[in-house]
Amino acid sequence: MDLKPLERGQLGVMLVSSLLVAVPPLVGAAVLLTALRDKTGLAPGPLIAALALLLAYPVLVGPFRRYRTWGYALGEHELHVRHGVWTQIDTTVPLRRVQHLDVAQGPLERLFGVTRLVLHTAGTANSEVVLPGLTRATAEAYRDDIRAHIRQEPE
Amino acid sequence: VTDQAQAVADRRVHPGTIGLRFLKDLPQTLIGLPALFSVMADTGWQYVIPLAAGAATILAFVQWIAWRRFRYGVGASEIVIESGLLSRNRRSIPFDRIQDIDIERGPLHRLFGLAKVKIETGAGGKAEGVLDSVTLDEADRLRRSIRAGKSGMAEGAETAPALAEPAGRPIFTMNPVRVLASGLFNFSLIWVAGLFGLLQTFEPLIPFDIKDPGRLLGLVEENGNRFTLGAIAAVLLLALALGVVSGIVRTTLGDWGFRLLAEGKRLRRERGLLTRSEVVIPKRRVQLALFRTGPLRKALGLGELLVQTLGSGQGQSGLQSVAPFATGAEVDRVMAEFPRLHLPDGEALTRVSSRHVLRVAIQTVTLPLFVIAVASTQRPEAVAFVPLLPLLLAGAVLRRRFHRYGVSGNLLFVQAGFWKRQLWALPMANAQSVSLSRSWLQRRLALATLAIDTAGAPGFGGPRIVDLPIERARELSALVLAQSSRDTASASRAGDPGS
Repeated sequence: MDLKPLERGQLGVMLVSSLLVAVPPLVGAAVLLTALRDKTGLAPGPLIAALALLLAYPVLVGPFRRYRTWGYALGEHELHVRHGVWTQIDTTVPLRRVQHLDVAQGPLERLFGVTRLVLHTAGTANSEVVLPGLTRATAEAYRDDIRAHIRQEPE
Repeated sequence: VTDQAQAVADRRVHPGTIGLRFLKDLPQTLIGLPALFSVMADTGWQYVIPLAAGAATILAFVQWIAWRRFRYGVGASEIVIESGLLSRNRRSIPFDRIQDIDIERGPLHRLFGLAKVKIETGAGGKAEGVLDSVTLDEADRLRRSIRAGKSGMAEGAETAPALAEPAGRPIFTMNPVRVLASGLFNFSLIWVAGLFGLLQTFEPLIPFDIKDPGRLLGLVEENGNRFTLGAIAAVLLLALALGVVSGIVRTTLGDWGFRLLAEGKRLRRERGLLTRSEVVIPKRRVQLALFRTGPLRKALGLGELLVQTLGSGQGQSGLQSVAPFATGAEVDRVMAEFPRLHLPDGEALTRVSSRHVLRVAIQTVTLPLFVIAVASTQRPEAVAFVPLLPLLLAGAVLRRRFHRYGVSGNLLFVQAGFWKRQLWALPMANAQSVSLSRSWLQRRLALATLAIDTAGAPGFGGPRIVDLPIERARELSALVLAQSSRDTASASRAGDPGS
């Protein structure tokens, strides 16, 4: 199956959000270690460097790997989304199973010009299938496309 | 519905909402005031009023922004709702998916002459769209235009289909003996654990130290005459008896006078000793059947049959027991009510890949083995735990023996579990989505886990086939999707009384 990659902007979103998670604790630790330098008798420099090194993989490499594993394909009858680095998850949603749709954009996503499409089904464990990293135009086009599949079912 | 005209979100909820929400949030703010006062005690009272006013202004401003940012609109075939301050969300709910439009009016709403409109698609418990709040006229207009937009929806079609067949035909009942027998199998170990918890609480009254499991398991020397094997046996027997009795009591309270009645297009279940509960199960809302049993019950040819329903309006969502303790023949009779469903009938189910055992072995044995290896460098006697590892392996082998799947016509069967044996019969057309997941180890072993999401399932624990060979998983996934995503209207409803 040919999967389309997400927009490059999504990589920016992933990078910045992982930085936002990792940097404040790092700064906090640096401040704390410097302040307690006399008490602990430890030089803060090497410790901070070690901490930064420890965070380097999840913060700088992780987003690239995660970004690359994402892929999707919108077929005639179903949407297919794949993601996951260690555990790879392939989810397929039959379009006629979609209950309602969200087109969503957070502040970071707006900054990088990407949009999220969220498909809601009547399922439980997996009732929300999220496809991030689309341009606004694509997300809206897909939404309209998917909506056309939702028609009255014989109940 | 072919009209693809874009719905424009050009309406806001009533401005009175700002005042309404402000008043609603005020109590929380008032609770914050004492804290404010305690801070103010040092700085002087003259600041309190301006500060409170400032807080109120900010609160009102936030509500105003939220009001400004919330917009909705009704198109030819859908309702759109835009919301969010920083994170913008635009939701489209097609009319055809809307099951219920609730109009709610609390005391504050009445004060402002407003109403809260809740739009439900019947998917989950919560409303998918909430308009808080609009005028009563607008609420009425919304309801009318959504109803009009829904192609061919007869108002109140959901209610009162039963009049045609007033007296239900009983298809499964349980007499007192059956209820008590069923209770015997509802033995629960939780109560045993509970008893030990209780023992711990009243420890001073008990002639041995139960906190020390080593002594409990037979180190008699320390306490000599007071601590005997007899005491342990007595405690275990008591726990066992308590487990059995509690199972019988619970079952008696819950399932006393169990009756399942067929009433045309729906089933009605009544049960309960003190509180009589009544549940209506519309047949066409049934998503799948689940048969549960255990090793002993299986040997006696007994088990429990449940159906999973997608609720809406009066129908309850989730797994409903339709025969808690039934023989094979009785289960077949209940299943006959659902022409599109049946349990595997001589069809051989296939086991999952033999590499499942290998994967479970690697995943469950590696860590304990590592721990033992490390521990044995310090204390050689740790090696004594090695004989326990084959037990873990035996568990994996046993689990694979009972983890099977099979396809018969439109149905997918999935069986899992040794102690709690579950067998799903799922019309593939009812799959809401299909996930194929492969962990790092599974990829190395060319395995995959296939999970099928269904409507009304209880959280997690729906049909899942763990460790299929990857190519088989892909085939099966394609098969399920072919039935679920194509317009096979005739096959879409499991419980539809065919013809």
